[in-house]
Amino acid sequence: MTAHTGTIQTGTARTGTARDSLTAAQPRLITDVLIIGSGAGGATTAAVLAEAGIDVLVVEEGPWVDQDEVRPFSLEQMDRQYRAGGVTVALGLPSIAYTEGRCAGGGTEVNSGLYFRPPADVVDRWRTEYRINELDADQLDAIAAEVETALSVSTVPGKTTPASELLRDGAIALGWKQNEIPRWMTYPPGGDAVTGARQSMTRTYLPRAFAAGARMVVGCRVDRLLSLGSRALAAEVTYADGSPGTIRCRSVFVCGGAIQSPAILQRSGIRGLVGKSLAVHPTVKLAARFADEVNVPDDVPVHQVKEFAPDLSFGGSASQPGLVALALSDQWATFSSAVTDWRRISVYYAAITSEGRGVVRSLPGLRDPLVTYRLTHRDRELLRSGLSRLALLMLEAGADSVYPSFRGAPCVRNRADLAVMHDRFGASKAGVMTVHLCSTVPLGEDRGRCAADSFGRVHGTSNVWVNDASLLPTAPGVNPQATVMALAIRNARHFVESRGLTS
Amino acid sequence: MRSVPSLPLVGPFADRLLAFDLPLLDDQRRERVVAFTARRVDGMPSVMRIGVVTIAALVRIAMAVPGGQRVVGTLARRPLPLVGEYARLVRSLGYAYIWETWPDTLPNGGTP
Repeated sequence: MTAHTGTIQTGTARTGTARDSLTAAQPRLITDVLIIGSGAGGATTAAVLAEAGIDVLVVEEGPWVDQDEVRPFSLEQMDRQYRAGGVTVALGLPSIAYTEGRCAGGGTEVNSGLYFRPPADVVDRWRTEYRINELDADQLDAIAAEVETALSVSTVPGKTTPASELLRDGAIALGWKQNEIPRWMTYPPGGDAVTGARQSMTRTYLPRAFAAGARMVVGCRVDRLLSLGSRALAAEVTYADGSPGTIRCRSVFVCGGAIQSPAILQRSGIRGLVGKSLAVHPTVKLAARFADEVNVPDDVPVHQVKEFAPDLSFGGSASQPGLVALALSDQWATFSSAVTDWRRISVYYAAITSEGRGVVRSLPGLRDPLVTYRLTHRDRELLRSGLSRLALLMLEAGADSVYPSFRGAPCVRNRADLAVMHDRFGASKAGVMTVHLCSTVPLGEDRGRCAADSFGRVHGTSNVWVNDASLLPTAPGVNPQATVMALAIRNARHFVESRGLTS
Repeated sequence: MRSVPSLPLVGPFADRLLAFDLPLLDDQRRERVVAFTARRVDGMPSVMRIGVVTIAALVRIAMAVPGGQRVVGTLARRPLPLVGEYARLVRSLGYAYIWETWPDTLPNGGTP
């Protein structure tokens, strides 16, 4: 296994070198608390526990990749930092493509960096409907404020990208609500959007955890937990070079994300409601061509349109030329000529809050779980109206041509074309995708719906916690990272206090 | 479970599909795209990979019979259930690679 040799750059968190903090692969390791996964949930958990003086070992299946090593939103990034090179699908009609980070820092290293505080109405609904003890929207808000400081959450001091401004302008022309969404980025004084440096977990919470004594092994996949009765005793792991290992521990936090966390639990014989309620924000896309150059390959728009939220949101996607070609590929016969204009094209999405649910199921003999998802009739209609409204917004923003991403789509140049598009759309013909996955181990005391208790301990176990997006009872209707982090910090602090320590 | 490299199964179909869609893409580039596509299939999660390789094997058999090369044209044009998704996957991976690697590629695969 190759150890990471880069240097952690300073964000607003403290300075530290990850190389010095990473632990080499060993056949046997012992720790007090084992944290599986190093993303938004795992990294924050590690920092809280380590800073309370607890012996912590973080294991991460993927490699450590510094942000300046790969071009954002490129195929190389997908190869090195995404699971399966980004080619992962929840099967269904239609199947929904999804992506998972698989690297130190998890999804925080590769996502758009857009930040929303946990929505208070959603948190209140979760508390009552799922019977979550001591879940307080104000408390989460206070934690979110800490997170914002740690991650330098801010708006762009200078200019946002042309693609972002067009989204904003289209919304203004229609009288629709729009905002610039802050990101966890630092900018030089007056810097434009593209000058931002992402304050992901490898730059913030992981260095904090290391500074407090946490250890971390990368290239370490957890195959299963070994238990005696309700108590996990150790984890069987496989290192990147194929060698096996065992990690003994007193407690485990599973923070592998909404697909891998339930899969690990199921492979360990912990099933029940685990993995049965996957929730996502399905999105459909279009490419819009303008008179001037708008394409910024390495960044995404920071504006979002929330006029129809929480049911429906509009935003901008990564628009590398390869991704523009991908957006045009479903109707290549008639859209292909546009690909030479990729500099004038940007890709946008309509995301919905889905009523459908999916399942994550670990199958014997197979390394990866089977993931399925079923959209409801309401979801399909929402995707249709979402794409139509997004196309309208693009026309209002000045697009000369709009290319919806579904088979049989017409090129939309005016409102008459919009009606044709609306009629022809079918979710099963579209390239539906998502980057927000959650709810596979929902927390709460309602044993009929929840797989973990009010603080993330998996029902039926005495020392196994989940602390990532899996815990969110439903998809929150906004980018979920801040909610995941706030909830993870809350749960980690509860764990610390339950041991008589101070967080 | 041991996995079989997908290139012998996926490669010939990807090659023909790209030649059909992008007739002016030169052989050397097409070869690189095909290799990339096969690598991505090799890296897929287990269940998805089993499904893709099974369909790829059936399509490969169909391509091997006399007149079977027409299968590629049919799949390229018609969105058939399941098998059509295979063509869609290969096309998506291929196009993403082509236009990221050579952004000024023309719609027919040629160079300006």
